[in-house]
Amino acid sequence: MGQDMTREASESGTNDASRTTLHAVVAQQTALIVDDEPVSRAGMAARLKRLGYRVLQAGDGKAGLELLRRERPDLTILDWMMPELDGPSVCELVRRDPEVFSSQIILMTGHDQPEQIAEGLARGADDFLSKAASPQEITARVQAGMRAAGLIRRLEHATDEIRRKQEAIERELQSAARYVVSLLPAPGLLLPGLEMASAYRPSSALGGDLFNVLRWDEHSLGLYLLDASGHGVSPALRSASFSTFLRDDNLLHRVGSSDPGAILTEANRQFPLTENGSYFTIVFARLDIRTHTLFYATAGHNGLLLHRRSGEICYLAQPSLPLGFDAGNVYHTADTQLSPGDRLYLMSDGLYEVPSPTGELWGQARLETSLREAAAKPLADALSHAIGAAEQWLGHQQFPDDIAVMGIELAG
Amino acid sequence: MSNEQIFSLTEALARTDQDVELFQTLAELFLEHGPKDMDEIKTALDARDAAAAGRSAHRLKGAVLQFCAPAALEAAMRMEEAGKAGDVAAAAGLCGKLESELSRLLDALRQAMDKGLAA
Repeated sequence: MGQDMTREASESGTNDASRTTLHAVVAQQTALIVDDEPVSRAGMAARLKRLGYRVLQAGDGKAGLELLRRERPDLTILDWMMPELDGPSVCELVRRDPEVFSSQIILMTGHDQPEQIAEGLARGADDFLSKAASPQEITARVQAGMRAAGLIRRLEHATDEIRRKQEAIERELQSAARYVVSLLPAPGLLLPGLEMASAYRPSSALGGDLFNVLRWDEHSLGLYLLDASGHGVSPALRSASFSTFLRDDNLLHRVGSSDPGAILTEANRQFPLTENGSYFTIVFARLDIRTHTLFYATAGHNGLLLHRRSGEICYLAQPSLPLGFDAGNVYHTADTQLSPGDRLYLMSDGLYEVPSPTGELWGQARLETSLREAAAKPLADALSHAIGAAEQWLGHQQFPDDIAVMGIELAG
Repeated sequence: MSNEQIFSLTEALARTDQDVELFQTLAELFLEHGPKDMDEIKTALDARDAAAAGRSAHRLKGAVLQFCAPAALEAAMRMEEAGKAGDVAAAAGLCGKLESELSRLLDALRQAMDKGLAA
């Protein structure tokens, strides 16, 4: 309380100490006076210097504009009528210049008719000052203009700071995104007679979907695709952590088996629902290349699709709980027989749940159609075709959810 | 006519926050530039360019405002208006009046400074 009263007294007081304080506060601010008439320009310059401002002067509109662009004064006091470039024209040029458009400008004129004031403001002035104004009014308007200029400067600095921080975060995200992509397996031949292709399109810089291939031994492979709920940094971190658990050496050590059901049962114990309700869905498969038998288990994940050479398409996943919902849940392994020429797709639901501009989902039937259309094309082209069709349905290229697809094809 | 009737030293000093030195600087600037503006007005009227005469009268008016000199201000304003209206004949008719009011003001300022403003 005592402190407040002291401050109030000092701000409203007229003693030398309060003047010194006021001058110190405004010392950094610069005023530019643009007037072709030297007597009133000199009078105004002296007044502003007395108020503690740094003062710049120009004798015509063109020189004033140059000085304004070079020196970025906090406040410009601009005479209306000047030869060649008049005050309102200078205002218009300033407002069109992105480097200086936020400058504070007071237009000054000998006339102060309402129409002229309206025109001056419409052409870009912030305030208006009559040449016949009293010293008190001039001081008050200049100080108001300087206050506004100070606020604008602070806003601009804050905006720059936010932009810099945003750019730093973007760079971090891009770097993290490159790391996530580096975790993904390279497409191509996994084993003789077994080709893999994939597509990965995170909805933002970082995605929560991840897939990989494990080489159990020379005859069998593990394949998984997981989808962390949500998208962005947190799901991406959780997925990366989960993928460490899913490394083949870790699984053999922790689970002691390459059986998909046993692996998901253990993963379900290791990755419970988080405090804010985050969870994983996953499809995990083991392919025996000698017998062409596919063993698989799913946890809350529907995206396991078999496209047979015959043209038949079937979804292999059975209804099941996502990981983490029930610690005692046991996930069972199912199996099916693949034939040469068959294609198996592991995918996140982001692909077939792409909405059209009216909100209708692309859906599994349209996905099947697009995969059939590309059945004769190489596997990678079939994937591109399906993603292209989904993009067309969406109407643009920025998917609202992460999209990950891994396809494998047994040589026919 | 006394100097105080030609311009108000009290009001003019109030406009400079009682800064006598500044007042002197402004008066000296005006003694130098006022006659130039007047010459420009006459040259413009000789060339029958009312708009140019109006612009110079506008500048002159801005300077006169600093000295609170009602008659000179009035004459400059009327010249500016005639010039803006493009009325060469009216402007030419006002020229003598403006010149004499300006001359009176310049003399009064010189005298005031000679007498010493601080007193």
